[in-house]
Amino acid sequence: MAEFKYIPQSEIFNCSVELSGAKKFYVLDGKPMGFSAKDGLIEIPSEGDLLTQVIFVRTTPHPSSYKVRILCPAGSSRAVILCAHTTGTDRYVTEESVEIAMEENSNLSLIVMQNENGASSHHSTFEISQKGSSSVSMNIITLHGGNIANRVNCNLNGKRAEAHLSGLYLAGGEQNIDTTVNMRHNSGECTSNQLFKGILGGNARTSFKGEVYVAKDSQKTEAYQANNNLLISDTARAISDPHLVIYADDVKCSHGSTVGSLADEELFYMRSRGISEPEAKLLQQQAFAGAVLEKISNIEIRERLSRLVERRLRGEDTLCTGCAKRCC
Amino acid sequence: MENLLEIKNLHAKIGEKEILKGINLTIKPGEVHAIMGRNGSGKSTLSAVLAGNQNYTVTEGSINYLGKDLLKMSPEERSWAGIFLGFQYPVEIPGVTNVNFMKTAVNEHRKQNNLPPLSAAEYLKMMREKMAYVEMDPSFSSRGVNVGFSGGEKKRNEIFQMAMLSPRLAILDETDSGLDVDALRIVANGVNRLKREDNAFVVITHYQRLLDYIVPDIVHVLYKGKIVKTAGKELAAEVEKHGYEEFEK
Ligand SMILES: Nc1ncnc2c1ncn2[C@@H]1O[C@H](COP(=O)(O)OP(=O)(O)OP(=O)(O)O)[C@@H](O)[C@H]1O
Ligand SMILES: [Mg+2]
Repeated sequence: MAEFKYIPQSEIFNCSVELSGAKKFYVLDGKPMGFSAKDGLIEIPSEGDLLTQVIFVRTTPHPSSYKVRILCPAGSSRAVILCAHTTGTDRYVTEESVEIAMEENSNLSLIVMQNENGASSHHSTFEISQKGSSSVSMNIITLHGGNIANRVNCNLNGKRAEAHLSGLYLAGGEQNIDTTVNMRHNSGECTSNQLFKGILGGNARTSFKGEVYVAKDSQKTEAYQANNNLLISDTARAISDPHLVIYADDVKCSHGSTVGSLADEELFYMRSRGISEPEAKLLQQQAFAGAVLEKISNIEIRERLSRLVERRLRGEDTLCTGCAKRCC
Repeated sequence: MENLLEIKNLHAKIGEKEILKGINLTIKPGEVHAIMGRNGSGKSTLSAVLAGNQNYTVTEGSINYLGKDLLKMSPEERSWAGIFLGFQYPVEIPGVTNVNFMKTAVNEHRKQNNLPPLSAAEYLKMMREKMAYVEMDPSFSSRGVNVGFSGGEKKRNEIFQMAMLSPRLAILDETDSGLDVDALRIVANGVNRLKREDNAFVVITHYQRLLDYIVPDIVHVLYKGKIVKTAGKELAAEVEKHGYEEFEK
């Protein structure tokens, strides 16, 4: 990963590269713009078949703390992307809690994109509760930030519920990114999948703590958990601590974690074909990140995020092609 | 004609172990050299040193390539200058597709020659053409580099890459091992099609069989890190018949 200089986003935040089929909303320092919050709770609007894009922007240095809720009624299918940004170089402190309530047979595709300045601190808790046969797929892509902590508590409360969680964190400089996943199989016949990957450069510190809990009567559970970290510098440190707590006996569960560096053999092979060292390293990092990006089902978002990840890894500013502003 | 490559008194070690113990070898454009020798005699070590593998340390001697000090060049600089190594054990790179890999390589070569990168269509055309050289199915292009390729498919992929980069000096390290008879012919044809007056090949092999297809001008026998015999193509047949015992003195 090349040294990256975070470029603050424009004062008046307005993304000019629209996602197709999306309805966009803004939340400025915890205040929703043009849509209401009841009892201090920001309800993510549902726009039928449209993708709901909610852009959270920090503009003032006061700490901001807010609550968000995503409701998925029975049988519904929703797609939501939440983006977090900062507009300046101030130290923004954000406390966010996101409640996700999934009724029977509901379906949610959720993407969380985080791109904040290196001085800011952002703590998010995602509290997911799932009824029978509901399915969530969640991708957390952390491009940049100072001190980021993401906690996901996922409760599989009804039979045949599914949770597919993945995340990619890119940490350089003095960044600190913590991920905690608490996957609770409270009911049988549920499936959960976790794939979290990190690329670390500079003096970055990251941690992944994951627990899969399978209750006593949750038979026929399938639960997988993996955390892989790629260290690009000698001074970066990744902690990985996945574990399983299983009380049922008829289950398929596995977990694994790795912390490694770039493979020398691969690098030499690529360089022997004339691929310069930095480019060869970049290809390896992209390949590493690819496994998470591949899980994003919306092709447009996947391509856009892949480009942003590439730019981030190259140390270029994360600017969409065709955009004059420096938002995401 | 000017020499393409001049190796003089080359000594190289890995860790504390000296493996090459004074290699002398001169290669002229248009020539095909074969190197034979027992397992462990240092054939792959020599190719690795030529390609710039930093796991090996050169302790003595020199390598001159087209008037330049090869040992001062990085692996990618050597590739840009026209050196190609066909690996005995091609490396798998999960997550990097064959097409992305070779496209990046070809475009970096073009950049060195101040040429603009190929468009997707131009690249595809070139790739299809070169894949046909080695009768490789285009579906391989979307797979991870060498990932899950059979032994023979990996070797074909090496020759495909060689065709894409069209080198001045190609070192093929046991490209024939693990190939069935048809694949052997295909690979040999690929090499023969790429032969020009201004380029040269070093073919490392254990078998006369390959040399029936790719006829060498000069055959060397490597023994314990030294070239102990150099002769014409008849030497390969001799080795095949009598083994290496006579060189062990
Ligand atoms: N990392 C290493 N540490 C110690 N010895 C090594 C190492 N790598 C290679 N060698 C030794 O160097 C010697 C030469 O190996 P090399 O691969 O060059 O042989 P080769 O002639 O290509 O053999 P083959 O015909 O089996 O491919 C061998 O004895 C090998 O064991
Ligand atoms: Mg060998």
